[in-house]
Amino acid sequence: MTAQAQLGERLLSVSPSPAFWVALVAYTAASAALLVVLGGHQRARPIAITLVAIAFVAHGVDIGWRGTQHVHPAQSVREAIGLLSFIVTGGYLLASTRYRLTLGGAAVMPVSLVLLVAARLSPAGAAPEDLSSLGRIHISLATIGVGVFALASALSVIYLVEERALKKKKFETLAFKDKGAPLEALDRLSHRLVWVGFPLFTAALVLGAIWVSKLGESLDRPEYPLAAITWIAFASVLVMRQVYGWRGRRAARLTLMGFGAALIVLAIYLVRRMAG
Amino acid sequence: MSELFVVGISWRTAPVAIREKLAFRDEELASTLTSLTASLPVAEALLVSTCNRVEIYGVAKPGQDPAGEVRAFMARDRGLDPSAIGGVIYDHRGSAAIRHVFSVASALDSLVLGEAQILGQLKAAYSVAGGAGTSGPVLGRCLERAFGVAKRVRTETAIARGAANVSTVAVDLAGRVFDLAGKSVLVIGAGKMSTLAARHLRAQGAKHIVVTNRSPEKAEKLAAEIDGIAKPWAELEGLLAEADVAISSTGAREPILTKPLFKQVAKARRWRPMVVIDIAVPRDAEPAIGKLDGIYLYDIDDLERVVAANLAERAKAAEQAMKIVEHEASQFEHWVRSQGVVPTIRALREKFAQVAEAEVSKTLDLLARKEHTPAQQREAIQRLVQLVVNKLLHPPTVALREAAPDEAALRAEVLCDLFGLEPNDQQPALSEASPPDRPGQEASDSLERKAAT
Repeated sequence: MTAQAQLGERLLSVSPSPAFWVALVAYTAASAALLVVLGGHQRARPIAITLVAIAFVAHGVDIGWRGTQHVHPAQSVREAIGLLSFIVTGGYLLASTRYRLTLGGAAVMPVSLVLLVAARLSPAGAAPEDLSSLGRIHISLATIGVGVFALASALSVIYLVEERALKKKKFETLAFKDKGAPLEALDRLSHRLVWVGFPLFTAALVLGAIWVSKLGESLDRPEYPLAAITWIAFASVLVMRQVYGWRGRRAARLTLMGFGAALIVLAIYLVRRMAG
Repeated sequence: MSELFVVGISWRTAPVAIREKLAFRDEELASTLTSLTASLPVAEALLVSTCNRVEIYGVAKPGQDPAGEVRAFMARDRGLDPSAIGGVIYDHRGSAAIRHVFSVASALDSLVLGEAQILGQLKAAYSVAGGAGTSGPVLGRCLERAFGVAKRVRTETAIARGAANVSTVAVDLAGRVFDLAGKSVLVIGAGKMSTLAARHLRAQGAKHIVVTNRSPEKAEKLAAEIDGIAKPWAELEGLLAEADVAISSTGAREPILTKPLFKQVAKARRWRPMVVIDIAVPRDAEPAIGKLDGIYLYDIDDLERVVAANLAERAKAAEQAMKIVEHEASQFEHWVRSQGVVPTIRALREKFAQVAEAEVSKTLDLLARKEHTPAQQREAIQRLVQLVVNKLLHPPTVALREAAPDEAALRAEVLCDLFGLEPNDQQPALSEASPPDRPGQEASDSLERKAAT
């Protein structure tokens, strides 16, 4: 085997399916189309949403195809990132059936694209170790939980951008002109998503702790306290809102803080994996 | 050919003092149209009378140009001296008239660009003309097309996007913070603008409207007008804590919505968002309350800034809209022009049909006289076709031959164009190729001779 072939195998442990390339093109086109809509061409909106739908379906087919090649979506952090991006796109698609979230889409679609590319084209690292059922459930729950948090965070970002435009009376900005979903709806939706994601993430955390203790590994890795910070941040979002009526800007910032910690955990896993 | 025309005045040319004198009441429209079409060479007519324009759209009878007479008619009908309105009344004919009607329907000629009312007013005027029997095929098609153009302009451009007056901007801003359905509105003071805004909010689904005023009588009166509830001024803090949108327009010299008051209010609301619209001058709200969490404060300058920005956007969109109008008007003009040749086409078809029917009838008579073999029948049909062609071509051929050289060349060119001919100079001269002087006679004689044998 030549050095180049070896490198290729290392980059793409399982060759990407044709659906992956379709998703790649559709994500890129959807991002561009959403920018065109933001530029004032409202007639392009159905095209943009159709492209998002195509990307979502192609992405799903790609995940399914990898399954047929014995690559489980929760087999590794690399695969989990692909699933995470799929969940984010699906959530955006669902939310955009009710609200006009052009600005959000223009921000979320490139993120989904980057995550998908990172999941499929980043170095695969060493072959994944055999995961126990506990490990797979932990990764699955954590991925879905973080995916839901990602959606909540995306809504929080949109909230903060729109809120700033309204509060500071920046009537010339895109955030004001786009006239997306009302602030209250964004805040409510984000809060509901945190409610959905929190039990999943909590279960993932508990199962992860059990899994680690079964493996006999120590708990002094940096990702563990970061995961705890993520949990505390989202728990605070729920408690502070319930007890002290925290909402809006404060809740959005706290949500983003929690998601930031979760992203760092993911990044640590990914880098460690890539380093083999 | 019947030509479309427009005669009228609008906000662009006439002040309200003249517009109101030329305006027609709804109940006068039908009789005016009937009288107009009966007394002037106008085949079809429609009259639109709004606060910003009084216009007659019509179709002239063939060969007539009644615009001047319609101007005089409008003035006389309103009891005015035609010369008194000569400087403000305008008329458009043909393509300019079509473009004007399309622009008016698309609200490109409106005082507030892109406003939605004019389309409804035009539809109503069209309906009145239909009822009076003064709208016909040309005007009808023009108006139907104008409605289609208006729809295109509204959906394909930003002409109707963004609120264009202060009260709707207030509602728009509140709608960016909440879904307005089921929300509570507090009206502080009794300004006209706040009343309008409260009505708009109600239309958007706001559930409770509470009015408070230093004068309980005024509060009661306004509450009755906008289907709200009047509450005592002393309860202001509690009312603010319960409201989602507060619209303030009192005549107070000092701010009544102060930061200390709103700190209490925000706490009582558990920082639920609240929109405060301060339309009063001097302002009712201290600017500092806008810095509190969850409080979105807008004063009259903010609202007017949004209106100005929206109108600027609409003006930009108007350029794009004019292109749509231009394109659609060209197409409609083409259709109108095509209507001018319809009688000629009809006459041509009738003449051709007559010739064909006469020859077919003769041939059938000949064939009926005795039995014919299939070969003879085939020959008879071939001769019939030859006969019909000769007869049809005889008049144009003669006209072509007998015309003066310049005229003949022109006619030849038209014929080539109409029939897609490419004359070959090598072919025999026209005299050699021409049919006999009595078209079809030779062929007909031959057939009759054969039938006799």
